[in-house]
Amino acid sequence: MTATRTHKAPSTQTGRLRANGWALRVLERYALVLLIIIMIIIFSTDPASSRVFLSAPNINSILANQSVTGILSLAMLVTLVAGFFDLSAAAVTGVASVIVASFTGAHVGNPVLAVAIAICVGAAIGALTGFLIAKVRLDSFIITLGLYILLGGVLVWYTQGQTLPTGSSFSDISSIKIFGIPSPFILLIIVGILVWLFLQHTPFGRYLEAIGSNSNAARLVGINVDRIVWLSFILSGALAALAGCLLASRNGGGDATTGSSYLFPAFAALFLGATAIRPGRFNVWGTIIGVFFLAIAVSGLTLIGASTWVQPVFNGASLVLAVILSTFAARARSRRVVRPADTKS
Amino acid sequence: MQKTEGGAVSRLPVDRLQSSLSIRGLTKTYPGTRALDHIDLNFAAGRIHAVVGGNGSGKSTLIKILAGVLRADTGALTIGTDEFDLSGFDAASSRNAGVRVVHQDLGVFPILSVAENIALGSGYPTTALGLVGWRSLRKRAATVLDSFQIDVDPGTPMQSLRLAVQTRIAIARALQSQDNASSKVLVLDEPTAALPTHEANELLGTLRGFADMGLTIIYVSHRLDEILDHTDDASVIRDGSLVGTETTPSWTEEKLISAMIGKAPIARKPRAQTQMNRGNLLEIRGLETGPLKHLDLTVAKGEIVGIAGLTGSGRSSLLRTIFGVTKPAGGQISFDGQKIHANSPERAANRGIAMVPENRAVEAAFADLPIRDNLLITRLPEFAPPGRILRAGLIEKEASALVARFAIKAVSTASTLSTLSGGNQQKVIMARWLSREPKLLLLDEPTQGVDINSRNEIHEQIREAVNGGAAAIVVSSDFDELALLADRVLVIRGGHVRAELAEQDLTVERITQLATFDEQSGTRK
Repeated sequence: MTATRTHKAPSTQTGRLRANGWALRVLERYALVLLIIIMIIIFSTDPASSRVFLSAPNINSILANQSVTGILSLAMLVTLVAGFFDLSAAAVTGVASVIVASFTGAHVGNPVLAVAIAICVGAAIGALTGFLIAKVRLDSFIITLGLYILLGGVLVWYTQGQTLPTGSSFSDISSIKIFGIPSPFILLIIVGILVWLFLQHTPFGRYLEAIGSNSNAARLVGINVDRIVWLSFILSGALAALAGCLLASRNGGGDATTGSSYLFPAFAALFLGATAIRPGRFNVWGTIIGVFFLAIAVSGLTLIGASTWVQPVFNGASLVLAVILSTFAARARSRRVVRPADTKS
Repeated sequence: MQKTEGGAVSRLPVDRLQSSLSIRGLTKTYPGTRALDHIDLNFAAGRIHAVVGGNGSGKSTLIKILAGVLRADTGALTIGTDEFDLSGFDAASSRNAGVRVVHQDLGVFPILSVAENIALGSGYPTTALGLVGWRSLRKRAATVLDSFQIDVDPGTPMQSLRLAVQTRIAIARALQSQDNASSKVLVLDEPTAALPTHEANELLGTLRGFADMGLTIIYVSHRLDEILDHTDDASVIRDGSLVGTETTPSWTEEKLISAMIGKAPIARKPRAQTQMNRGNLLEIRGLETGPLKHLDLTVAKGEIVGIAGLTGSGRSSLLRTIFGVTKPAGGQISFDGQKIHANSPERAANRGIAMVPENRAVEAAFADLPIRDNLLITRLPEFAPPGRILRAGLIEKEASALVARFAIKAVSTASTLSTLSGGNQQKVIMARWLSREPKLLLLDEPTQGVDINSRNEIHEQIREAVNGGAAAIVVSSDFDELALLADRVLVIRGGHVRAELAEQDLTVERITQLATFDEQSGTRK
């Protein structure tokens, strides 16, 4: 009851506090967007980078290249919302890229069928992972790390270290532009909207978030936690495979290592994303903003001729800083909430 | 294995100057309640002094202040010749003053060895290289075990020992010699709550030995038989005030019980008989689960059945088994005329059973999710037509209606649950289940840590649901609550139903007596 009294107090001081709180919240939500805008201004005015940075080819290549990272991040987001790390998703992306390449390249197969097969294999790997984690209750970090390493090895064996080319018609798909926008980016936005609707606006998505919030409580309100976690891994596998299909099309082939190399950029985007839009939570739009924050920085820094070590230092530092800032913001937020003392004796 | 020599006890680091402890004018207020009101208490050296009180009496607050975990508003503490101001008494002051506290949750590390558990109270010995000196660690632990006459090998993993032995090791760890302070006062918070009678007696024997060496022992317990048999003095606290202190032989079971519960008349609201007994809803035969052995229970529609028992009596296991959280070891459960074979929380919820668990934070609250998600999480499919997304407008409307109906004080349904007070959080959890109109409500401590107004509102909501044809099983360690709310009360002790109380038999006195006093446990001194 003390809490409500505090909320009601209509003094000017609380009014000011509330206004400050509002400004802080907006700043917290859009800080990453603001940083992107600042970077764009810097890179487009710096004489070293301005000409190329704002050119259509550069913008298109950023949008198209990052769509693979974006879709893979969204695949990992689906399980991360429920509190489960899925390191194997990036390996599934690699597996899918190789499958698509081998079905559209040498065998000259139907590209639709190739994509369908790749996505089914991704879902099947997700089903296996999900089974081990949700039903057998093994630790998700260890299981998916093991699978990540294992699948990478299988791919090296299968490809013999070679790049398997896709058919040219398949690689052309990702070069199409619709109203001047590269098709991979359109695919990313469609997937983003679907994942956002799924997580935020379906019972299933709400259950996932409840499991992430408190899995004990979720079980005790009658949510079938095991089944839902399992299904989330299947969905995650299918999305990671979709990212792999796009990757094969962009690169005109599939190989053993490219897919796996997306693991850390995807994670970085997810954690950066958790500091934006819905601070403190992994979320769809924050993740996509995180992907482009890193990509724009990389592109700009390359153009102004920064040494190769600058990029990883910048990426790592921004991730660490973002987490520090959002943690402090969250602590400030919880101090603003007046918690009534526990009256239990 | 260490041999116990006759002179071993002399090595105990107890201050030989007998230091008594006295508290003067101790007051502690929480917003809205006075937890402790001008408490004056004297604890003599060399004696075991029991502190007795019901739930919410303030005895845990007293312990926490002595341990330096909580700060008092005002109050003075004297230990021997040292004086302290309790408003600035922190954990370090408490240690330096010679106070050693062993909490009910012992704070032992099950996977570590006994030696390491002891070292974690005093620091690891290290070698010249800064590595752990395992040999001296073991030797030191052996010395401690020896001086406390605990016959275990220092290398034994903690988890392989009986709970009574673990408790004795926790006490030894608290009392072991420290460089900077000697032990003067040992405070034990319900050390025997989870122990069977013979192990409790073994532990109490050990405590007697410490008292004989001059240690002041403050002993908090719910078990009245234990207090009457093994302590020297007993003080009763009720509603934050001291009711009385006397030497144990001048207390009797009846006197203790009436001091604990006071003479306040209870406004019981008997419900009309016509609202009860509309056919059986739940039938349990020969249920074996947790500590329960062969339990029979029938609950009729329109009935509130109370379950009384101490912590560890199996009261929570009963609810968790009905709700499918725990698998029973034996027995049969029928619900609404159907035998239950496969059970899980999901199946139980679909059958129309609701459970409000004891530990809200761990088992019920989605603290960082909005209030509306917390309210409607189990009903979401209602708001999403097949193949369509959730209708946010309808969710908001229903959540607001529930907030109004259950008198939840919240700024907005979009605020996170953690912004609410404990009482209002509990109302959200109740509303979550009651809005599903369940047939059977399983309530585990439904008003624990909840203010008095919210408590009355929650009681009213339970009665309303039951008058509408549902049934409720209420577990509570607040016996007032059971006497107030239940139509009949089963008292569980030692794995069995010890008594069933109804109508004029259903009084706080009878419940307290049956739940806390074990007639078989032995003889009075």
